Amino acid sequence: MDLEKTYDKIYRYVYFKINNRSIAEDITQETFLRFISKKGDFHDSDIRYLYTIARNLCIDEYRRVKPEPLTDEINHSVVDSDNTENRLLVKQALEKLPVEDQELLLLRYVNEESVNTMSKTLGISRFALYRRLKNAEEKLRLNLEVEE
Amino acid sequence: MNKKELKAMLNDAFYAPEPEEKQSFLKSFPPRRITMVEFLLQQISYIRISSWIVFLAIVAVAIFGSAFGIGMTEDIVTMIMPFSVAVAMVEVNRSRKYNMAELEMSTRFSLRSVVFARMVILGIVSIIILAISSPVIAGTFGGKALQVAVRVLIPYLITMIICLRVERSTLGRGNGYISVVIAGAMALFISCADSYTPAIIACYRELLADWGLLMVIALFAIAFYEQWKTVKTMEAFA
Amino acid sequence: MKLSVDRITKQYKNKIAVDRVSFELTEGVTGLLGANGAGKTTLMRMMSGILAPTSGEIRADGIPALAENYRAMLGYLPQDFGYYPEFTAREFVEYMAALKGIEKRKARRKTEELLEMVGLSDVAKKKIKTFSGGMKQRVGIAQALLNNPKILILDEPTAGLDPKERVRFRTLIEELGKDSIVLLSTHIVSDIEHIADRLIMMREGCIVWKGSQNEISCDLEEFYLEKYEDLLVEA
Repeated sequence: MDLEKTYDKIYRYVYFKINNRSIAEDITQETFLRFISKKGDFHDSDIRYLYTIARNLCIDEYRRVKPEPLTDEINHSVVDSDNTENRLLVKQALEKLPVEDQELLLLRYVNEESVNTMSKTLGISRFALYRRLKNAEEKLRLNLEVEE
Repeated sequence: MNKKELKAMLNDAFYAPEPEEKQSFLKSFPPRRITMVEFLLQQISYIRISSWIVFLAIVAVAIFGSAFGIGMTEDIVTMIMPFSVAVAMVEVNRSRKYNMAELEMSTRFSLRSVVFARMVILGIVSIIILAISSPVIAGTFGGKALQVAVRVLIPYLITMIICLRVERSTLGRGNGYISVVIAGAMALFISCADSYTPAIIACYRELLADWGLLMVIALFAIAFYEQWKTVKTMEAFA
Repeated sequence: MKLSVDRITKQYKNKIAVDRVSFELTEGVTGLLGANGAGKTTLMRMMSGILAPTSGEIRADGIPALAENYRAMLGYLPQDFGYYPEFTAREFVEYMAALKGIEKRKARRKTEELLEMVGLSDVAKKKIKTFSGGMKQRVGIAQALLNNPKILILDEPTAGLDPKERVRFRTLIEELGKDSIVLLSTHIVSDIEHIADRLIMMREGCIVWKGSQNEISCDLEEFYLEKYEDLLVEA
């Protein structure tokens, strides 16, 4: 397993859920540590366990700090200027989707997980996953058209 | 909007700030375990095509020679097998020749494992060559495959022992191709003996019929010892 | 992490190359200064686990320098290195990755990343033998970084680099020093003047001065020459 790449993937996934760099990074590391204390070594197929551990840790984190959602000092928009407007549009369109659909899109198109890995991680059939993905894509497309 | 655009767009939208502790965290993990087989397979890909061609040529000579009923086939194979030693030696010694040794020694799998791996691979290849050639020759020209193998192996092993010794000496260190010279001398010697002293050769063959296997085992032991010594000297940085 | 060099000596037949040298390193950049023949290369070879010392010990958090686990966290750039003539820059770095035990796919990604970083992506497919000295040196730097080394030993890393490359290289070293132990040798004071936290100065196999750069109030070049003048007077 390419640990660096996996770290990025888990971190991105957790950041999506938590929206705070240092907490996201803590959870990412905790995910790796919990995994290694149980399994000892990393193999390619283990990524789904990492996602599962990460998701559970995120849920714990939500429970711990319920009232105020933690957000980073809106650093999204300052990173590169030419794309900011476009990114904001996409972000708005994305945020109108249910969180589950956003998660699917992240896993599939940003983390580039295979349908196989995803269906195992989420515990649904490949067919159902495929349909939900298509659905989410379609909704996003529609939202984008509305925004424009 | 195609998939590529979608990907780019989502990558942008799901932006996350760069993690800060990634490197220091990942460095705390122990290095990945690697099996010997995995390492050997990796090293195979670094043996040059020209070496494979020499090996293939030997097998080709044995097969075609037998197919066309050329009586000299066994002698030719016996004569060119020492060159496979030379090829192996050149392959193993490339680190020093091209001044890669220092770098290779500093890596996790140090030069010693590299040299050892290359020797193991090339040794296995030689055995495969022999395992193909001997039965083919024996099948065509009569005799037992084992006897053919013994007759081919003895000059091969003697060449290997001489090469390993010379390569470790100061003479060999300065000259990357000394093994080729040794193999050439061995081939010449075999060919001369074949043509000028047929009586002695006949005697030698008779001797081999009874003691050949034992000699091969003894030579194997010596060759193995020489290999081990060569690998051991890799420890010391010259 | 603590890298400790404890009374290291290397003796060849009639010459002592390194004479009872001791020091400790932690994360950060350390410059090893000394003229040619001061024993820098011998010391660095021993610290890279490729040369056994005559006496003394080198350990990183207890792991001896001659162990596989030590080399697994080491990045080393020798003063002079060669390459198999058929290798392209990419093949060379991937080959080194294989020896470092890096898995194939990761090796490929890392290779591209590092060649990009040292500015050689567009010539990755070219044979190294067509490269200039500076380019070859950059390939060497790339291979040293493959395994995200915790210990990075660079012997005269700036040799052959042009001024622009030197500046880029200095920035890189500073960055690496944040979470790795970096030891780099040079005989050019300006190479390390602004990036080395600590300095070790060697002459004739011995350490003549070691300490942090802050301790030096005057110009580093001046200080360095002074150290050597002293010795000359004594001798």
